Amino acid sequence: MSDSSLLIVLSTLSTGLIMGAIFSLVAAGVTIVYGCVWLPNASNGQFFLLAALVVWTFTLSFGWSSLAASLAVIVLGVLLAVVLELVLIRRLYNAPNRNVAYFVVTLGLTQILSGIFSLTYAKWSDQFSVPPVIEGITMLGPFPISNNRLLAMVVSLGVLGLLFALLRYHPYGRALRAVFQNREAAALRGVNVRAIYRLSFVLGSTIIFLGGILFAFAYSFDLSVAWTMSITAFAIMIVGGPGSVLGALVVGMTFGFTQAIVSIFASPTVAMFSYLGAMLIMLLFQPNGLFKR
Amino acid sequence: MNNNMKSWASRMALMGAFVWCSATAQAQTGTPIKIGFVTELSGPWAFIGTNCVAGLNMATDEINKAGGVLNRPLQFIIKDNQTNPSSALAAARTLDVNDKVAALSGPTNSDTSLSMYGYAEQQKIPFLVPVAAFPQLTKPGTHYTFRIEPDAAGWGYAIAKFIEQQKPGAKVAVMYSDTALAHAIVAGFQYQAPKSKLSIVSSILFPQGSSDATVQAAQVKATKPDYVIVIGAGAFDNVLTNQLLDLGIKPPQVIHPFGMTTQVFGWGTRSIGSIYGTFFDHGMDSLTPEGKSFISRFDSANGRPPSYIENFCYNTAYVFKEALQAAGTDDREKLRNALSKLNTKEITSGVPIKFDKNGARKEYMYFMEIVSVNGKRTYQSKQRLYIEWNPEVLPVYDIIK
Repeated sequence: MSDSSLLIVLSTLSTGLIMGAIFSLVAAGVTIVYGCVWLPNASNGQFFLLAALVVWTFTLSFGWSSLAASLAVIVLGVLLAVVLELVLIRRLYNAPNRNVAYFVVTLGLTQILSGIFSLTYAKWSDQFSVPPVIEGITMLGPFPISNNRLLAMVVSLGVLGLLFALLRYHPYGRALRAVFQNREAAALRGVNVRAIYRLSFVLGSTIIFLGGILFAFAYSFDLSVAWTMSITAFAIMIVGGPGSVLGALVVGMTFGFTQAIVSIFASPTVAMFSYLGAMLIMLLFQPNGLFKR
Repeated sequence: MNNNMKSWASRMALMGAFVWCSATAQAQTGTPIKIGFVTELSGPWAFIGTNCVAGLNMATDEINKAGGVLNRPLQFIIKDNQTNPSSALAAARTLDVNDKVAALSGPTNSDTSLSMYGYAEQQKIPFLVPVAAFPQLTKPGTHYTFRIEPDAAGWGYAIAKFIEQQKPGAKVAVMYSDTALAHAIVAGFQYQAPKSKLSIVSSILFPQGSSDATVQAAQVKATKPDYVIVIGAGAFDNVLTNQLLDLGIKPPQVIHPFGMTTQVFGWGTRSIGSIYGTFFDHGMDSLTPEGKSFISRFDSANGRPPSYIENFCYNTAYVFKEALQAAGTDDREKLRNALSKLNTKEITSGVPIKFDKNGARKEYMYFMEIVSVNGKRTYQSKQRLYIEWNPEVLPVYDIIK
């Protein structure tokens, strides 16, 4: 294989892995919240973007290191999720048709955040790139990959691994899975369902924030990434199966690789939406999701 | 006695201040001359619109401190079009009907400009477009619209001429985002490339919202281009550039059709040696004393040098001033005639401003090479080429619809 062809193959692999890892992470956050609370969070894309914007602000305006900014955004993200759950989300736990109510409420939140971002950050939209946590590149044969992107991929996959371990081995994780599967039975077994709702919302939202931070390190972004990521994350959740982190991983990776492979043969425009084709094919065979609970 | 003297002194001081204020006020009597300025202060193009207003406000302050126009203050009523054509049209209508402005100006985005263009032509309002390069803004039959920025198809033409001079027979790759501006530039380049004996070895279009170009950069690298023209939207431009540089494309091989100050900062030190096109830059050779003063004052006020955006909007105010003085009135029809007959120069660079029968200007472009970049504070550049051309060398209205 010539160097040029090898370069293209390796670039495709790396794109699929990195993009797929970030897709999977964000979708895992979305699916945890939906699987537990039945909350289709329409504002997950705006949370994703908020994290990226705040990291950018801390690094460029305040001169913080990228690592310090990321940790600060995680802490702030947890606090924001806790406040949102206390003030807004928990009021609808017992509402009839609460998934519709949640969707409408979070849609309102989406519009508010979108408007705020447009009024405040739009004038810097040509500058949204964050300094790397780790400088330099690593050579994979003839293909250079930035260390920052490698870090984003490793952290995404690492967090997904920790999530698996939490859900499988930790009492809180097992309680989450119990509520995913049957909340009434879980309650009868002594699980504090409302506390698990709170945990799942905060955990899921924090994972989405982390996804936004990692995306900002790996790529540039603009304000439209909120909508793109929101749609992608929902699509992955539906195809992977609501509440299934494994489903989010498998489908997220599939979508990432689909985009990368299609971009070799077709235009970037076609590649960008090729995952929707993959989604349709998967749903044809498994209309309830690949790993439905 | 002392108290009386103090009291008298303070009364005289007050009176003196009153006389001085009146004298200053008498330099500008009457109601302000109002120009509607509808620009992008929010939405995706806000980073250009806000820069434009910074340049405009500097010029307006200077003009009014010097006595205004026709002994009246010049007032730009600034409205935000949210980078939305419908909002731009609504704002234009409000300025026309409610504020009865003498003219319209302001948009820096081709889509918002086009929506105002239709209104201005229909309502017979002089419309001076400071920064929008879509050629259809001055298509044949245009009567009330005048465009200060050269049309984008011409930029593509100029790039082809630049490359032809640098390396005859060069192989060129093009990577660009799906925006009207990028399409126009690429169309102009594609038209001129065969005439300049250049071959286009790759042409890749990215949808808006793209964040990654890893695979496409590898594909471009595989074609072994001599030059790569990079036209990314927003921060994606940095991603495109860095991914090409990561793969071994050298900075002097990278050409950006346009470079604002914030873009140069974004490209950073990795792009030293890269080329960018512009219409005003603090590194260019032909700065006038007013241009150097403008750069110095803008830098002091904003913490960075101005680029062509701020310069065009700065000059827009002076163009209005000259046209109003030539017209002798703010009557729309007379102002329109004065604009069409204007034969002047950019106050900052001496480049001629003269509009043809459709409101287009004789086209020009500078090509600059990045010499050094100092964080987000400043950069140094040197002029590699200045080129002028007549807009009619390109069948612009045929190649861009």
